[in-house]
Amino acid sequence: MEYKEPHTNGALAAICTNLSKACDKQMRPTEAGLFDKLASYFSQSAGVAGPVSINDLDANIAADTESGYIAVESRAQQVGDRGALRCVTWGKKVTAIHKSVLVRYAKQGDALMEGSNLYVCEACGFIAIAKEVPGLCPICKAPASRFTKI
Amino acid sequence: MHAARNIALCTKDCLCLFVCPTGATDTENGQIDFSRCLDGCRLCVDACPSHALYLVFDRYPVKPQKDAVVASALDNLLESKVKQELIGTALAQGENGGAKLAKAIAHSNRVLAEDCAREARYILPQGSETRKLLTELLGRRGDPGFPVDAVEQLLELLQ
Ligand code: SF4
Ligand code: SF4
Repeated sequence: MEYKEPHTNGALAAICTNLSKACDKQMRPTEAGLFDKLASYFSQSAGVAGPVSINDLDANIAADTESGYIAVESRAQQVGDRGALRCVTWGKKVTAIHKSVLVRYAKQGDALMEGSNLYVCEACGFIAIAKEVPGLCPICKAPASRFTKI
Repeated sequence: MHAARNIALCTKDCLCLFVCPTGATDTENGQIDFSRCLDGCRLCVDACPSHALYLVFDRYPVKPQKDAVVASALDNLLESKVKQELIGTALAQGENGGAKLAKAIAHSNRVLAEDCAREARYILPQGSETRKLLTELLGRRGDPGFPVDAVEQLLELLQ
């Protein structure tokens, strides 16, 4: 059979880790493990990005902010897709955080993180640079237990 | 429909053991024996003082399709987030001081990418769009290292 799914290997990896988490929440560890197996295959196939610099993120962040999220949001509003609107609400804020962290890093360098830890919210992706884990995610209101220390 | 137990919330009050008419709540691995659970009975769900039990469909009803325009706009966003994840991962391997920050950015972009995937249409493992994708992935049979057996098992387990 010919395959024609519209996703790159990297995207398939994210789709599969998402579905693995969904299976975990339904208490289906066997299925979760199978999706994880697929995800690691796709991650490997996605390979490593070529020579890159931290500035390469800027173009993508600008595109997401100026068109990517707007495209989803305007159509989701028309058709009343509230799940997609929730994804846009959180995602736009997290993307703005990425931008501001990168701007601050360009100015301050490693001093930005000195004496602090990095935490990522597993629910929305919010990045905190702080001594202690946040008590509550400022974007999605997830509790401290939903943060991963990097 | 069957009950499922969130073991992290279970406080071992064991009410579920004594109300269940079939013994499905009493197992060596702490999970409900889905095959013995009576469809929609929910006695244990109502009895549990710790909100550790909930009901899940065995077979999911067909969900309305996602709007095609929303889905493809989310597909584009998903690809962009994955690209940023890969850039972050590549930078995280360097020795420079920003490596840790790059790692956080990669991790955050994976969370964002997963959210796009979910809202694009891959929210339920049992959903028709997930099945469609899995069926298409069968076409990769024979690609070096591709775990086609995992795809086949998933198609069988998730209905
Ligand atoms: S009733 Fe709830 S808390 Fe008690 S053993 Fe059952 S699942 Fe755990
Ligand atoms: S829903 Fe009923 S049959 Fe199923 S595990 Fe709970 S008490 Fe037992």
